[in-house]
Amino acid sequence: MITLLDWLRSRTGFDQVWKVLFERHVPETSGLTAWLYTLGSASLFVFTVQFITGCLLAMSYAPTPDHAYDSVRFISEQVLLGRLVRGLHHWGATFMVVIVVLHFSRVYFMGAYKFPREATWVSGVCLLLLVMGFSFTGYLLPWDQKAYWATAVGTNISDQAPIAGPAIAAMLKGGPEIGAATLTRFFAFHVLVLPALTVLLIGCHLFLVVWHGISAAPLRRDGGSL
Amino acid sequence: MSENACCGCNAWECKMRKIVAVLGSLIVAVLGCSGLGFLMSPLVQKKDEGWVDVGSLDAFKPGVPAHVQFVQRSRDSWAVTEKRSAAWVVATDGGKITVFDPRCPHLGCPYRWNILDRRFQCPCHTAAFTLDGALLGGPSPRALDQFKSKVEANRLLVLPTPVKEHS
Repeated sequence: MITLLDWLRSRTGFDQVWKVLFERHVPETSGLTAWLYTLGSASLFVFTVQFITGCLLAMSYAPTPDHAYDSVRFISEQVLLGRLVRGLHHWGATFMVVIVVLHFSRVYFMGAYKFPREATWVSGVCLLLLVMGFSFTGYLLPWDQKAYWATAVGTNISDQAPIAGPAIAAMLKGGPEIGAATLTRFFAFHVLVLPALTVLLIGCHLFLVVWHGISAAPLRRDGGSL
Repeated sequence: MSENACCGCNAWECKMRKIVAVLGSLIVAVLGCSGLGFLMSPLVQKKDEGWVDVGSLDAFKPGVPAHVQFVQRSRDSWAVTEKRSAAWVVATDGGKITVFDPRCPHLGCPYRWNILDRRFQCPCHTAAFTLDGALLGGPSPRALDQFKSKVEANRLLVLPTPVKEHS
């Protein structure tokens, strides 16, 4: 009897893909070292959480100076489980930075970025920068005092750069001052530009990870394992 | 494909896989439920009725209709709009209070109280109503429309939503 699963298997070859992704060989590790190898999956998981909660939040958020603060309050106070969803997104954002920095450090200190995995490293560094972009643009969206002044500081920092500084700051702000154009700009970056780039780069990063395989932990100088 | 049913690995790994599967399902359940709750929120949201405090009860003398003006706040999710609105308040000796929509049921003109004839009169097409809002004459299709009202702590609260919208 041909089941739907068999039909799909013969049309898509998904079992091959599954084998390559989930039945590949990974380094034998144990103890604390084994935990260090979970950081990549953890970042992917937090990204998924951010993606889902972000989609939900965008349903009740209005990126205009008149309504941004009130719509965020509406989410926290009126929407069913809105406070939980916003909390997940807020803490997920913080957690994301912590985890990707730990992941970055793990790869650096284990020398896992070396030949032939340089492209994986470069795409990972780009992803780290994208996470910073998410943090910077997302911070403005609640449109409260902290958000406003943090963005003022952030855009003024770019203003300090020689020659191109003022132009960069104006492009970030969408005008000479932080205002309506800044909010829509940051919102568009936060929910359209950055997620698109991130999904694309995660695809490349994961492909390279699977393509090269996971690097083993370096040996200790005395020949023992880490 | 060997000694273990779940994955062909040793017992400890098998147990860990089960734990991870349970934890994973739990996380997915929490995320799924909160997402579902968020989406279903419009179904359980309490409607903001919009009662307006129009003044102390002492301000309304029996037999003398009072024209009250107030600001009506209506809430659309997070957007709040304010609109100037009015009502006619009629108190009786028994302490009963009736609140009328200040627009004539005919074509929505603001009618006024005629002190000499003791009746409500519409300046547009001469519709007339008694103190109780009953139709006396003119082109109005019905008696005056009423607003819901209630008394709380000696204050009169009005729900300025007309029973029938004029077109």
